[in-house]
Amino acid sequence: MLAPSFRRRRWMASTITLLLFALFVFWAWIEESRLGDATFLTGSTVLVGIVLLILLGVRRRLPVLPLGSVSVWTQIHLYLGFFTTGAYLIHVPVVLGNGWLEGGLSLVFIAVTVSGFYGIYASRRLPKRLTAVEGQHRFDRLGWHRGQIAETARCLLDDLQEPSAHPVLGQFYQDYLNPFFGSSPTLAYVLVPSGVRRRRLLNGLRELNRYLEREGRDTAGRFAALVRRRDDLDYQFALQLRLRLWLVVHSTLSIALLVGGIVHGVIAWRFTS
Amino acid sequence: MLRENETVSLGPGELFGEVAAMYRSPRTATVIAETEATLLEIRWQGLRILRRDKGFADTLEAHYRKHWLPVHLREIPLLRHLPESSLARVVEATQLRSFGRMEWNAGYRRTRELPVEQQIESEPVVASEGRIPTDLIIVRSGFARLSQQYGASHRTTAYLGKGHVFGLEELSCNALSVKANLTRTLRQSLRAVGFLDALFIPAEVFAEEILPHVRRSELPAAAADLMIQSGSDRSRSGDRRRRERNGIRPGDWNDLPSPTGQQFQPTGLLEFIVQKRLNNGRQAMVIDLHRCTRCDDCVKACASVHDGNPRFVRQGFTHERLQFVQACMQCTDPVCMIGCPTGAIARDEETGVVEIYEPICVGCGTCAASCPYENIRMSEVFDSQGRGYRDVQTDKPITKATKCDLCSRQPSGPACASACPHDALVRIDLSESEPLQKWLDRRS
Repeated sequence: MLAPSFRRRRWMASTITLLLFALFVFWAWIEESRLGDATFLTGSTVLVGIVLLILLGVRRRLPVLPLGSVSVWTQIHLYLGFFTTGAYLIHVPVVLGNGWLEGGLSLVFIAVTVSGFYGIYASRRLPKRLTAVEGQHRFDRLGWHRGQIAETARCLLDDLQEPSAHPVLGQFYQDYLNPFFGSSPTLAYVLVPSGVRRRRLLNGLRELNRYLEREGRDTAGRFAALVRRRDDLDYQFALQLRLRLWLVVHSTLSIALLVGGIVHGVIAWRFTS
Repeated sequence: MLRENETVSLGPGELFGEVAAMYRSPRTATVIAETEATLLEIRWQGLRILRRDKGFADTLEAHYRKHWLPVHLREIPLLRHLPESSLARVVEATQLRSFGRMEWNAGYRRTRELPVEQQIESEPVVASEGRIPTDLIIVRSGFARLSQQYGASHRTTAYLGKGHVFGLEELSCNALSVKANLTRTLRQSLRAVGFLDALFIPAEVFAEEILPHVRRSELPAAAADLMIQSGSDRSRSGDRRRRERNGIRPGDWNDLPSPTGQQFQPTGLLEFIVQKRLNNGRQAMVIDLHRCTRCDDCVKACASVHDGNPRFVRQGFTHERLQFVQACMQCTDPVCMIGCPTGAIARDEETGVVEIYEPICVGCGTCAASCPYENIRMSEVFDSQGRGYRDVQTDKPITKATKCDLCSRQPSGPACASACPHDALVRIDLSESEPLQKWLDRRS
């Protein structure tokens, strides 16, 4: 059977989720209109939703078992996440609870939801930005590539024969290039990658051209290429780290939410029954 | 058991297995010794040297023409309705020609780096654009590139593989055209990519013996229109109506999905695939970089089903949003299998997976050196307690060849593909254009 296109799949899944959510709202409304308490129904639904959402993490850790592809599980996770968020909004009287447990729990829920929405954005947008950069580097090899660039830069300077270029480029290397090539990207760059460093270094190298002859200019051009490569590498590092950290934050908060949700559920069940 | 199969007796001086050895194709017969027999085994390298002797080469060709050519021609969908008399004439007139080097993998690493125009120029020309077609060319093994002159260079339009035909439209139109002055010339050039072995059927034999037995729906559109105009299709109109009644539209290719070549819409992707010879891959690992979050779940899944040792690394050639990962592609022409001294590397007949049987792998590295894509690696071997085996004399670690086995022993199929959370990774047949085209269309 031919798999549906992504657009069609999105449309179908959204429709089914909306229908199920409408049914759920109707069910809660019937409970309320019968003078029953729909909170228990909506709360249980949210808790079951959270348990099912966490199962994706379990599936990812069991690749050997024939439990269907992880991409199908991810799609279910995504739309179940939308549904559970809706169920939560119906369940709570206010978005932020007032008790310490309820307040904390609602904060964690919001954090998980926001990180989940960020995850959708990040997993759709960041890969395209990563692909747009020259070279596809593996995260575990980025450090090695950095070392290679630093080594190449050092060799470039050592191989420089032009006597007049040596002090000019040597000084620039010592003051700016060596610290740039020899260190990891700063926290500020990792959080908000920008082209400021790159532009500053490239401008600096360009300004040196008037003090250099042919060989020196050639070496400066090679330094500029290394600066670009290193900056691309740091950009890859920042985005790949973000993609990894997001997942760690989302899954850790999800576990906290599950534990808190169970505690809240037990207390609610204990005092309502 | 023998009664159920077609059998033939061989005597002293007769050969068998030479076609499989020369063209790296699977053996098509099982040979059983009825009495005590002494056999002389000639390795393919020896056979290649012997073929330089004209007498031996003629004997081989005569043997092939007599025993195997009719079988191979019958396997070509276009010729399946030929009566015996026509087939005999086709067999008699067909010429066998080879182009390029059989050991294409030897120069692959150099040629893949060449600019496209230089690579096209370096490929042996089989038929030139603008010339009058003289033969119907059928690819027996290897790969070919179809190209058209575009500006000062050539633009790749399709690639051909085993069983594909070249010159069908031009030859059909020329044979069916009532006006003799409207002779069509070849619209594209055909070049051997690495190595090409082809059958050449002369144009007059095609017109007299083959074309009358080809259905209109199996011809290219231009030739099919000419067939209607010439009225030669009347005799088969009943057959066409019957097919239409059964829901098969005229123009459906049925068992001929693309008889004249594989074509991708974007020329860049097509040229990339031919340039890197990725069309050899039947289960290539392709990653959509616009969806891949670089989480490496594919590598982790691979490691978890292979005792902690992943059989690939997530790196490889990239073209725009596609990455062709360095994982065994289970090639159509698995050159890695040549030269294995123990026969440890072999293709599974049922699954088509090229597997290494570790117990008989001696770790010589021949297969790893032969794989042009560098998809076989030599890895240390460990016992059940995680201790590495070492050579008693040299104390060096013992290594064996490892490669992707498509998780053939796993019920879930390739773990890499099923572990990808974002539908970014696929194992796909690149010898056909359709699967990749559909996969790309699905996400566009």
